Amino acid sequence: MNDDRQASPLRPGREQALAETFVVLADTLVDDYDIVDLLDRLVAACVQLLGATAAGLLLDDQRGSLAVVASSSEQTRLLEIFQLQNNEGPCLDCVRAGAPVAIGDLDVALPRWPLFVPAALAAGFHSVTAVPLRLREQTIGGLNLFGDAAAAFSLDDQRLAQALADVATIGILQRRSAHRSTMIAEQLQHALNSRIVVEQAKGVLAERNTTDMDAAFDAIRQHARNHNLKLTDVALAVVRGDLAPAVVAPAAGSRRADGEDL
Amino acid sequence: MLRAVTTERASQPRRISELCVAMLGVTGAGVSMVTSSGHHSIVCATDSVSARIEDLQLTLGEGPCVDAVRTGTPILVRDLDEPDDVAVERWPAFMEGAAKAGVRAVFAFPLHIGAIRVGALDLYRDRPGELGHERLSGALMAADAAALALLHLDLNDLDNLDHTAGTDADENPATQQLQVHQATGMVQVQLNVTTEQAFLMLRARAFSTGRPLVDVAIDVVERRLRFSTEDQ
Repeated sequence: MNDDRQASPLRPGREQALAETFVVLADTLVDDYDIVDLLDRLVAACVQLLGATAAGLLLDDQRGSLAVVASSSEQTRLLEIFQLQNNEGPCLDCVRAGAPVAIGDLDVALPRWPLFVPAALAAGFHSVTAVPLRLREQTIGGLNLFGDAAAAFSLDDQRLAQALADVATIGILQRRSAHRSTMIAEQLQHALNSRIVVEQAKGVLAERNTTDMDAAFDAIRQHARNHNLKLTDVALAVVRGDLAPAVVAPAAGSRRADGEDL
Repeated sequence: MLRAVTTERASQPRRISELCVAMLGVTGAGVSMVTSSGHHSIVCATDSVSARIEDLQLTLGEGPCVDAVRTGTPILVRDLDEPDDVAVERWPAFMEGAAKAGVRAVFAFPLHIGAIRVGALDLYRDRPGELGHERLSGALMAADAAALALLHLDLNDLDNLDHTAGTDADENPATQQLQVHQATGMVQVQLNVTTEQAFLMLRARAFSTGRPLVDVAIDVVERRLRFSTEDQ
């Protein structure tokens, strides 16, 4: 996959996939969308369209830290690499400077990030790109992509990553209440707290249904989409016990206790 | 007995409110509480106008703090006289009462940790204008500390947890470390307790074993550590 990077604009089917992604994102952005759902689709699109091995979205929590709001995988090790960037790393540098950071070969970056680079290499990552989520002068977070080969993401890929980051920015900031203009701080905090609700729900389902966090998230996502509900609402119902974990069953091959349609 | 304990612990939200007034350039601050049964009550207020703001919203059931709790989103109103900036249609009675009391700007912060909703921190100013970036950070951190303080206030049967409330400077419970929230959900099921209680149990275990909260959480998520009812 990574060999294709330089030639990525010509990758068969990519234009099609790209067009479909933007259609899905545009559909998601209408009326009362769920921000966790939108950002989750965005990081999935990054992996699919950019041939990234992993992708994550970090937001300025306005308390001096970066918080993970979306990740292409729920593995603890990946989350730790994202969170490590509160100390150092490409995403932190990108957010501070409000400018992209692209490293084709992580080995070379060891002196720059002595903590981050070994952790990323140990996870099998060899290249990294971070693009800012920016609104005018303010940077609200960063989109972080990892590749498993020591090859730089092409300029086209970086432009596409920036386009997806811009969609994320719009998604986070444009949600307006019907009656009043709202501020960046309100929207950022809303996105961050929504993500925490989803994490708590994943824990409930993972424990109750003996699945891992990825499967638990899948179950929430599927239930929301199948029943046309907002992802965060489903998560809240799970945490509060208003929705039995057996109803939000694990995705693959599980028996559904309630007999509802999938 | 219960009242005495509760009153003493209410000193922490009060200290947080006083710090907000001292540090954040606001005229007054107040904390209100929502119990798990949905009951609202005023915990503290630094002055009579703050008390009035809390009281108005409690009585009317509308206002920025009510919306903050309901939506889990801070509600920042820089100028109550600016029609574009306020929800006149949504808070008609609150607007009138607040204006009479001399309030020009209100900044309401939900005391939430995901699905855990314990109350709100209300800051007000007698002059219009934004809170500003630095002060917003301070207010969010004050809200984090107040959320933890109120959690302990709400669960006053958990006496042994008192010393862990809101003192960990290196810890940011509201946003960092997704594993803490995943583990909270798992412990909630393992112990068949509320989300609030599960979160406090997790913190208590971290404190009693002298380990960072996130490390304990990762042990739970990776299934190296299980909480059982016998431990408690």
